[in-house]
Amino acid sequence: MSNPAFLLSATIFLPTLGALFLMVFDKKAEDAMRNFALVITAVTFGLTLLILQQFDRSEGGIQMAVSIPWVPTWNINYQLGVDGLSLPLVLLTGLISMLSCLASWSIKTKVRGFLMLFLILETGMMGVFLALDFFLFYVFWEVMLLPMYFLIGVWGGPRREYAAIKFFLYTLFGSVLMLIAMLMFYFNSASSEIAGNESIFDLLKLAEIAKVGGFDATMQIFAFILLFIGFAIKLPSFPVHTWLPDAHVEAPTPISMILAGVLLKMGGYGILRIAMPLCPYGTQYAAYALVALGVFSIVYGAFAAMAQTDFKRLVAYSSVSHMGYVLVGMAVWKISETGATENLNFWQLGMAGAMFQMIGHGISSAGMFFMVGVIYDRVHHRDLNKFGGLMQLMPLYSGLAVIIFFAGLGLPGLCGFIGEVFVVLSIWSYSPILAIITASAVILTAGYILWTIQRVYLGPEYKGPHKEEIVPITSRETTVAASLAVLAVLLGIFPYQLVLNLMDASIAQLTVSLSEGYAAVQETVTAVTQLSR
Amino acid sequence: MENVGLEMFLAVSAVLFVCGVVCMATKRNAIGVLMGVELVLNGANLNLVAFSRYGSLGLDGQVMSLFVIVLAAAEAAAALAIVLAFYNNHMTVDVDQATDLQG
Amino acid sequence: MMSPEFYSEVGNLLMWLLTAAWLLPLLGFVIEIFGGYWSDRKSKTPAYLAVGCIGTGFLLSLVALLTWVDAADLNLWHFGDTESAAVAHHEADAAEAGHEDDHSHSHDHADHSNAHGEHGDAHHDGGHHGGHESHANDPFKTAFAGTFYRLGKYGSLDITLDWYIDGLTVAMFAMVTLIATCIHIFAIGYMSDELTERYEDHFVHTEDGGHFHRVGRFYRFFAYLSLFCFAMLGLVLAGNIFQVFIFWELVGVCSYLLIGFYVERKTASTAANKAFIMNRVGDFGFLIGLMILWTWFGVFQFAETNPETVGSTGLFQMVRTADGELETQGEGREKVVVLQAQQGIHKDGGNPHPTIPYFLLVAAGLGIFGGCIGKSAQFPLQTWLPDAMEGPTPVSALVHSATMVAAGVYLVGRFYPMFTPEVLLVIAYTGCITLFVGATIAVVATDIKKVLAYSTISQLGYMMLALGVGGWLAGLFHLITHAFFKSLMFLCSGSVIHGCHHEQEMTKMGGLAKKMPITCWTMFVGVVAISGLAIPFLGIPKLGAIAFSGYHSKDAIVAAGMTFSSLNPIHSLLFFVPLITAGITAFYMFRMWFMTFFGKPKDQHVYDHAHESPRVMTAPLLILAFFAMFCAIGGENGPLAQLILTTEPVHVAEGAMEAGHIGLNLPGHHQIHEFHASAGAVALLVAFGGTILAYLFYGLGIVDTGAMQKQFGGVHEFLREKWMFDELYEWMWVRPTLVVATWAAAFDRCVLDRFLGFLAGMVVAISSWDRRFDEAVVDRLVNAVGEATSSVGRSLRYVQTGRLRQYVMFIAVSVVMLFFVLFAYLPR
Repeated sequence: MSNPAFLLSATIFLPTLGALFLMVFDKKAEDAMRNFALVITAVTFGLTLLILQQFDRSEGGIQMAVSIPWVPTWNINYQLGVDGLSLPLVLLTGLISMLSCLASWSIKTKVRGFLMLFLILETGMMGVFLALDFFLFYVFWEVMLLPMYFLIGVWGGPRREYAAIKFFLYTLFGSVLMLIAMLMFYFNSASSEIAGNESIFDLLKLAEIAKVGGFDATMQIFAFILLFIGFAIKLPSFPVHTWLPDAHVEAPTPISMILAGVLLKMGGYGILRIAMPLCPYGTQYAAYALVALGVFSIVYGAFAAMAQTDFKRLVAYSSVSHMGYVLVGMAVWKISETGATENLNFWQLGMAGAMFQMIGHGISSAGMFFMVGVIYDRVHHRDLNKFGGLMQLMPLYSGLAVIIFFAGLGLPGLCGFIGEVFVVLSIWSYSPILAIITASAVILTAGYILWTIQRVYLGPEYKGPHKEEIVPITSRETTVAASLAVLAVLLGIFPYQLVLNLMDASIAQLTVSLSEGYAAVQETVTAVTQLSR
Repeated sequence: MENVGLEMFLAVSAVLFVCGVVCMATKRNAIGVLMGVELVLNGANLNLVAFSRYGSLGLDGQVMSLFVIVLAAAEAAAALAIVLAFYNNHMTVDVDQATDLQG
Repeated sequence: MMSPEFYSEVGNLLMWLLTAAWLLPLLGFVIEIFGGYWSDRKSKTPAYLAVGCIGTGFLLSLVALLTWVDAADLNLWHFGDTESAAVAHHEADAAEAGHEDDHSHSHDHADHSNAHGEHGDAHHDGGHHGGHESHANDPFKTAFAGTFYRLGKYGSLDITLDWYIDGLTVAMFAMVTLIATCIHIFAIGYMSDELTERYEDHFVHTEDGGHFHRVGRFYRFFAYLSLFCFAMLGLVLAGNIFQVFIFWELVGVCSYLLIGFYVERKTASTAANKAFIMNRVGDFGFLIGLMILWTWFGVFQFAETNPETVGSTGLFQMVRTADGELETQGEGREKVVVLQAQQGIHKDGGNPHPTIPYFLLVAAGLGIFGGCIGKSAQFPLQTWLPDAMEGPTPVSALVHSATMVAAGVYLVGRFYPMFTPEVLLVIAYTGCITLFVGATIAVVATDIKKVLAYSTISQLGYMMLALGVGGWLAGLFHLITHAFFKSLMFLCSGSVIHGCHHEQEMTKMGGLAKKMPITCWTMFVGVVAISGLAIPFLGIPKLGAIAFSGYHSKDAIVAAGMTFSSLNPIHSLLFFVPLITAGITAFYMFRMWFMTFFGKPKDQHVYDHAHESPRVMTAPLLILAFFAMFCAIGGENGPLAQLILTTEPVHVAEGAMEAGHIGLNLPGHHQIHEFHASAGAVALLVAFGGTILAYLFYGLGIVDTGAMQKQFGGVHEFLREKWMFDELYEWMWVRPTLVVATWAAAFDRCVLDRFLGFLAGMVVAISSWDRRFDEAVVDRLVNAVGEATSSVGRSLRYVQTGRLRQYVMFIAVSVVMLFFVLFAYLPR
């Protein structure tokens, strides 16, 4: 297992192998298939832990790099590796996949197909986080897209076709923009020495070119906008977020968990891994817009959540609100008039907050969706006004749910707090006005979460239909919920020891090289303007 | 025999060939049609042998005619078997009655 | 200055003691919540466990207190309350040998320590900033600080969990653990009806009209209490302002859980939500304060006190010079505060020291105070506290009177060096408004717990006012004394409620003194204490006036207010309002006492079934009554005040003339002392006035209160409706928020989704045109080709007859035709 090529490839492709192997099972042996898929996801999670064990926390660059020519004619490589940005998300993917696989016992129809698509989906997600070649990244991005379409479209709720199409079209639109940007970089890289005067897809080398100012300002701005729209759809950020509530509401519980827990993080990861390193100038050019957009998403999502009556829709809008912090944290990059980066440490703090927010939100929102799923499986409705009194009927479930919802509320000691507060602390040095607006969101968040808890869990009596079917939480459900709740607590208490120190070196390296990349382009831009005068 | 030329052989074979073709075209009896086929083949054989003798082909023509004879025998055997089977099923050997495969 | 070895030795010991006291309730919480869920509902074990944890915590805190006093070499009085009893023998010799006159003794002591700090070091650094490290520790020489572990580090930005232990910390620890222990014990009795598998809740009706039934939640109550103790002690132990925020939120959520303990009651869960959300409104300000401090200072630690690690500094050392001055430059909007450290973030050109704009320092102070407004239920966020009385009474005693709501006051006291005079003035006026509003509503409240709740708001206002007018000691002194007598009174009210079978309306009580004598007379102790009554003209040497704890602390507050208003005549409201309110306080407290315990029973049914509470409930009452009487013994020269005084920021003692933009004069110790006697006399007079009035109204009943209510109907109604704050907020905030929320959701549905639908419609329209083109042109063309082919095939079909003879004919004819063609066209 010390061979990184094997380890990383196994992490990516083991689920696919499992999916193929599922075909030999008897059609009736549904439980056997579920158990088998669970074992596969558990082993995959084990492999990600193995990566963690071999990971060197003090090293900021790519580790366990693998590069094998794939399509040599076009310089496409099978290139993998981890660093502090991708490793936490790889771990999260492994974990959430395992838990949501455990949550898929509630899927009763076409079990084999579900599990196969599910496992292929995991391959796509792992691939996105581990790929270091732009083309390979794109391929995995699309690989992840298709199973998701079917998982929503076949196993979803009443309006599943609409939701699936909406999801598919939104994401496809984004990936088309990404494709254009990818080709821009491919053909522009040929003029650089670093690329050996060839067109390349290698993200690391492209980032190096950007760091020395190899891409000109206009191209960076255009490419950044294209890439950003592509990733912002996934993030999701206002105004391209409307696929999310529909997709979540219609998707079955385990898929909602994956969607909120992992898929949304791809947007943030894509910005950190591709959009920012490849276009430092473009990033800085758009930084204020990014922060403003993030802040608006936070407030807007919170308001929209408050007005929902569908439990799952509310949680979906809370995701919009929470992912706004990610955008804000990444973009609080302040520069002086001379183009030098100011308050680098605050930016690093914000970026760490953004990364932590992705992890924390991955845990808390997956948990929230699972909790909605548990009650939906019993009473088959999600109308917030027709719940109540669950604390009496399902005490353990309600207790765990309250912990997880408080994590979403950003209560200290739980995982939602660190990310939010780091971002909030970093933003004043960038823009006091936006900082105040961001801080005001704590009131709104508390408002809609507590109101939800009151309407669903508190009160004397359950008010909706199917009261007789409310039974206490099963041990399998308890396992999922308790794992998430325990993680939420642990991450909230030991953020640095568990997660933040994994990524600090990488964040430092990223911010520094972005600053250099911006300064390199800025010099030429200033020179040109002076000449023209 | 000196004055017997190629033309003579060709004339005889042409007569044979035409007789065979006319026989095939006019007879309704399957056996008759087969006989016509034999005539046609033998007319062709005569041609081959004649060109072999007078042309520059050497023995090739005669070898070819041997093949044709064997082929004719095989064809006759197979065709007669088909006719016999047809007769067994339809109590006739009239080829105009053989319309089973017509679309 | 302490030697580094001594510092680390004592610091570590204190840290371990208090950390153990802090974490024990957390351990208790975990065991109780998990053990309770899977075990017998009728078991009292969770309660014993919780009492054991917090009781051990109290013993540890006591040891820590003694250790600290010993280490600080403090010369407390050798008699007085139990907190210092053990110190007594240690200190006895010095105290007795020393001074006859206690006033001068204490003053000497305080001055000495301050003077030592300032003068000694002013010499050293000679005004140069380079040497600031050497003296920076001295104002904090009796404090110990250190780090638990790290939450994140980015360059110089280091976010950690720290501890900070000084006189205020140990005093708060002892107070919180002691009161919590008493309340835990009380709750064993009070919550005993939860020890059942089938609890009947008379306040909740099911749809079929019956009462609501559920399993008992005894264990859960004690688990929540333990969690609260953990959070509260963590707040006190916190060594940086960020950590305070963390525990600030945690006590908030514990409060939420405890207010909403009866989850099935809609009123309870709504009150819990209200409490949490209003606290979050305050926390919004707190966060802004944190952001400003973090951006401009780059540290969160209060102060660095370790003599070894000179050079690294905390907030207090950065903002104030060694003698507690703010060093400012420039005027107007350009005014900046020079920070006393190299490591700040923003540097002016040419200035070697980092600075922070003055208005931002003010904003940060106001922001942090915003958090305190929320937590301590100050105007304008006071409305959540009365609603919070939905929780069980022990909760009201512990969380909503003694500890958590006092955390705001504690934080203002702790963070005092960061507050500019402008902020202090805001604090003072906020407290002033709050204490008046709270007291006026308490006068008309008839729910026994609501009276106490409004009284708590009012008393917290007193504390804030004291802090705001420069009476740092008075505010925190009152915090401790108030904690004792208010928790006592809440427990007494709990005892009454328990005895009257959950009847809380005073209009249905009366004459209960005979039925529950212990409760009645312990309550009397509390009422006298809060009213600030004392026996005039008599004073015992060394002990001062014969009075309960409340007299001493309220006296100090009134004195501070009086001094302040005499120095700043324009702000004389800050003296008269609290003075008048002192009378109102005495009035409504005695009104409550008389209405509850004396007069004729107003509801015979309630009276007949009333009974004195069991011993497990009355014992805590007696303990707390003892402390309510004697904890402040000696007044401002007593051990408690002296203990707190060791933590006083250096600039307070001196006072300040013309401080800040607004030309404010802050009184120093000397000035306050001059006014002390007259202030005490006036306050006492007013309090007696209130008491006598209450006795006339409610004790003797010579005035018809019903008629008076009618006569002042408008005022009465206005007060009954709590000054209409709830209605106002409903219209100002809640509804607009919901409207905006609906708009946001509708925007998604009607604008974004419709736009998307429009785009999709466009695509569909284009594709349907495309389809028509396909059908009309492309398809038709292709079909035509196909049609032609097949018609040719159809016509050729006739040739295919299947007749052998015909085929032979075709062959023959074709051959002949070929023949002719060959002959006709082939070249010769």
